[in-house]
Amino acid sequence: MEKENILIRLQRIDRRWIYLVLWLVVMIPLIFPFKIQPQPTPSVEKLFNYIDTMPENKALAISVDFTPDTRAELQPMVVALLRHAFATQHRVGILTVQVYGLGLAEEAIRQVTAEFNANANTRADSVIYGEDYVFWGWTTPVLTVMLGMGERITNVFPIDYYGNRTETLPIMQHIKNYDDIGILVTIAASAIPRSWINYAQTQFGVNLSCGITAVSAADFYPYVNSGQFIGMLAGMKGAAEYEQLVRERMVKNGMEWVLRNRGTEAMSSQTAAHLAIMAFIVIGNIAFFATRRKRK
Amino acid sequence: MNISTDPWVWIAAILTLAIFSFLYKENPLYRFAEHLYVGIANGYAITFYWHRVLVPSFFDRVGAASTPIATKIWLIVIAVIGALYFTRFIPKVSWLVRIPIAIVLGYACGASIPRAIDAEIIRQAKATIITRASFAHWQTGLWAVIILLGVIATISYFFFSSERKGVLKPLSYAGIIFIMIGFGASFGYTVMARISLFIGRLQFLLGDWLGLIK
Repeated sequence: MEKENILIRLQRIDRRWIYLVLWLVVMIPLIFPFKIQPQPTPSVEKLFNYIDTMPENKALAISVDFTPDTRAELQPMVVALLRHAFATQHRVGILTVQVYGLGLAEEAIRQVTAEFNANANTRADSVIYGEDYVFWGWTTPVLTVMLGMGERITNVFPIDYYGNRTETLPIMQHIKNYDDIGILVTIAASAIPRSWINYAQTQFGVNLSCGITAVSAADFYPYVNSGQFIGMLAGMKGAAEYEQLVRERMVKNGMEWVLRNRGTEAMSSQTAAHLAIMAFIVIGNIAFFATRRKRK
Repeated sequence: MNISTDPWVWIAAILTLAIFSFLYKENPLYRFAEHLYVGIANGYAITFYWHRVLVPSFFDRVGAASTPIATKIWLIVIAVIGALYFTRFIPKVSWLVRIPIAIVLGYACGASIPRAIDAEIIRQAKATIITRASFAHWQTGLWAVIILLGVIATISYFFFSSERKGVLKPLSYAGIIFIMIGFGASFGYTVMARISLFIGRLQFLLGDWLGLIK
């Protein structure tokens, strides 16, 4: 029997070996990371600058429209946006049009408010529920939420996530409808950002931006180009870029706290994995073309 | 190494490993974790729909003495129409399911179509128009031209009403190139997305569970 060529064997390699290599390539840089600083892309910078220079009386609305399966990519965006809003003293309203987003939004709120309140020296430094931020929660259907918020948010969410009547919260005196929202950022893993454009923006002219999974990034760039979205965060890399900008802003504001940035933390693994996959593609193609030429 | 003592972290870690075991081969542990996930997800959603939608928006309002009779009748009529979805399970009257479907479709189409035309066609077409402002900077000007060419070439590739000859031939060929670049970008982003999800799970296993990430 003729001894099999290595190139042919490479094409028949058990895929489990590839999984094992990827596992190691991702795992090792997580334990022993190498220094990598993500450079913000223009679309990320655009969103950051918009929120950074937004008038203080305008609120940031974050719609947590994703499910736990995409948590790794999207949760760091919610955390970074909340940190940015609190660091620049903007009021924040959080909602979700996706029932599974409730727990994720609550987790991010709990984490970021704990960070700020643990470092607060005065009442003015701390973030207070009902005054600085509100978690409207979830309701359905999507269309009613997106259109209803343009008229009166308290009608859409009469009760907040924690069971309070939203009308009784002081923050709601300042956030009545889209007119009081400087920008609404939808963090999603589906086509929901498109619905926000169709209903909230077309009807009420609210400024929008989005944070989306890398899979959907190519679908949403046209909306950034057309100006329908003010910037965009694409995948974990987008989250890492935003984290860097927020970190710089916080340091400038004297908030030199040690905070965990999950997006940035993942970048050395992400880089190593991309290099490995590129190597797999190159080797696979070389093997394919070399064996095809031999057959001819 | 600082292993977590939280039992929930342990349960999540074991279930994560059970799901990953599929990479080796299909096994009962994987199937258990998969079914558990689907069951919990459905249970979670149903609970919230019941407590956050049905109870406050229907049962509480119908039961409240302060709700006007006319509103109560409306609510009950709407609820009965909604309940017609369940007629699918009764073959003799299953045709009744068309009533709520027709109402939902009619409402959604009426609300969506005019807005979608504005947001997805007019605004997108407007974004391809080159104006003097597009050339405020040479880079923006260059991208504006590339986008315009890309849109025209790609649309011409999907123009099937006449044979591809004359101007249409090189244009549709250029269209294929733009489409391939688009597919390439999508593939690259997909790889990034899948790796990100894997990193997320490893951050949990190595960090939250085993305490190996500092």
